[in-house]
Amino acid sequence: MQTIVITPSGELFNEEVDYVVVSSERTGEFEVLDNHAPLISAIDVGYLKLVRGDEVLFAVVINGAFEQRDSVVHVLAQEAHVGLDKQNALDHLNAVRKERLEENRRRTRDFLKAERELKENIREARASKT
Amino acid sequence: MASMRDLKKRMQATQKTQQITKAMHMVSAAKLKKAERAIVAFRPLTKKLKVVLSRVLSSDRDLGHPILSGRETHQTVYILVSSDRGLAGAFNNRLFKAFEAHIEQAHDSKDEFLVAALGYKAHRFAQRRKYRLLHRDVIPMRDDVQFVDFQSITDTFLTGYFSGAYDKIDVFYNHFINTLNQEIKHRTLVPLEDSQFLEAEDDDAPYNRLYYYEPNARQVLYQLLPMYVEHLLYGMILESKASEHASRMTAMQNATDNAEEVINELNLKYNRARQDAITRELTDIIGGAEAVK
Repeated sequence: MQTIVITPSGELFNEEVDYVVVSSERTGEFEVLDNHAPLISAIDVGYLKLVRGDEVLFAVVINGAFEQRDSVVHVLAQEAHVGLDKQNALDHLNAVRKERLEENRRRTRDFLKAERELKENIREARASKT
Repeated sequence: MASMRDLKKRMQATQKTQQITKAMHMVSAAKLKKAERAIVAFRPLTKKLKVVLSRVLSSDRDLGHPILSGRETHQTVYILVSSDRGLAGAFNNRLFKAFEAHIEQAHDSKDEFLVAALGYKAHRFAQRRKYRLLHRDVIPMRDDVQFVDFQSITDTFLTGYFSGAYDKIDVFYNHFINTLNQEIKHRTLVPLEDSQFLEAEDDDAPYNRLYYYEPNARQVLYQLLPMYVEHLLYGMILESKASEHASRMTAMQNATDNAEEVINELNLKYNRARQDAITRELTDIIGGAEAVK
């Protein structure tokens, strides 16, 4: 069963798996095997357990759509991360988010500060008078 | 006529400016490529999500959602997608002009709308014009924009809409056509027309549109529709970002060309002045030699 996980920055995962377990905080858990009837579901915060033979992968998903048809699974996620266990993947995703938001805040602060300083410098240099 | 030293100085100064504009041109070209890649990577997601939503909506005609059903408009929010930095040609000005033209035509007073400024330039513009701002703080538009940057902001847009603080959300942004052409677009983000989902339905046989919904179609719709709106906005932001880089690239290319022209002109003047000085010296020497005889 082909499973494709798509995020805003492109395809994250595209491989054959035996079955998928979909778990979402609000709607609970279900498992999809090959040749399942067409199915659409939504994931708020949850994970996919992707199983192929002995291999198990977890894809943590924040806000996503799940569609299965003709044995092809599409997961459209706002944010996702694939890892070997779900806690690690979730931690990683949260850490990345937190870092990014923190960096954004820092950049805004620095930008405003730099602008203030520039204004001050222009005023002091009396650039318009020369 | 300016002295040789002055001319030389001006030439050097222009050359330095030209170096900067050239560098900025190259940086923008690289960033534009990245932005284009981001757009291409992002497209499949929205397209697929639209198809999924059209399936959900066509499963039951009675399904409704506040995002789909418009209401009488008392308050409108205008999202202006601008940039953080200038030197991008008419990129921001064009957007602001289009917005002002629309405001003049559609509204009588500034109390009828709110402005959500994305990017430092739009924030400044709204403050200058004394428009009412939805967010007090500046929302930065980074060059390496990511989905997570705007998620919390789009969330607040939708929360405000659901709570009835405003009844419509419109977006003004630069649509990227190609490197030389960008176009200002004005689109309504919320409420959405459900007709656009009907268009998305592909030519699959009707039995292919039969799905099971887990847990049910309504819940799936309530989860996916806000997500779709967030994606729409993010798509516009990506377009705007690509336009910004393209616009800056063109502007910097023009600046480099103009600098080249100025340098050539100054060079001509400099050579003339140099020739002048040589001729004068020669006449002096010849005059001196004549006097000695």
